[in-house]
Amino acid sequence: MSEQMMAQSSAARIFGALGDQVRLEMVRRLATQSGTLSSVSQNLGISRQAARKHIQVLSDANLVSLAPRGRETIITLEKQTVADAHQFIREIEAQWDRRLAALKAQVEFDSTNS
Amino acid sequence: MQDSIERTITVNAPIERVFHAITDPEELVKWFPDAVEGTIAAGEQPTFEFEGYGKSKIYIVAKDAPSYFAYRWVPGTTTEDAVGTPDVLSVTNTLVEFHLEATNDGTSVVLRESGFASFPPEIAASAFKDNSGGWDYMMDRLGKLFSE
Repeated sequence: MSEQMMAQSSAARIFGALGDQVRLEMVRRLATQSGTLSSVSQNLGISRQAARKHIQVLSDANLVSLAPRGRETIITLEKQTVADAHQFIREIEAQWDRRLAALKAQVEFDSTNS
Repeated sequence: MQDSIERTITVNAPIERVFHAITDPEELVKWFPDAVEGTIAAGEQPTFEFEGYGKSKIYIVAKDAPSYFAYRWVPGTTTEDAVGTPDVLSVTNTLVEFHLEATNDGTSVVLRESGFASFPPEIAASAFKDNSGGWDYMMDRLGKLFSE
């Protein structure tokens, strides 16, 4: 798989994983410090099993890493993945910048030549 | 997580002229897709074609001359899926909006694309399986942009 394909597939997975209020809240909690299944799902009104599924989705998107410690699992935010998602947005912005520049050039060219 | 992007430019031309450029198929192909099939009108689902990358079906949300144009599209699906999808709204999409305003210098254009944080895993899986869809197009265009 090329680097480019990696980039686009991971971007889609990242945004897919973040498209859920519960998972967004989990990521928010993990932004400041690593946590456990209990700490990231506390007061969210979801079962332990549901919390585990959400964490698995985040893990599949490489947004968190899981490290067993005794009977608990330490969940850590993968900050690089979050940075990649921001970069993806920056790139879409650059794409619109280019399109809008093309729009401006087209319209202004026509206006001065009509 | 950031869910939208917003860009603003000023075009030195009357607002009607700019609105025409973003909503008329013959004008659109001069700066955005290579070809447009179908009608650009609210409720319609025309197709944007990007040469070498395939077609993408869009859903026109609003076309309110001369100040507002909005559509939804599906950047994460494959070419076949996007064209074959009977209703763009039945799958996850992003909303693209153009707000135009007449100013002393011409026309202010505010572009907003939103909904990035709502791509569901199905779309992600689809983009992962097939590399001929919208994500490729975006990434390739961007790659070219950065290498220039």
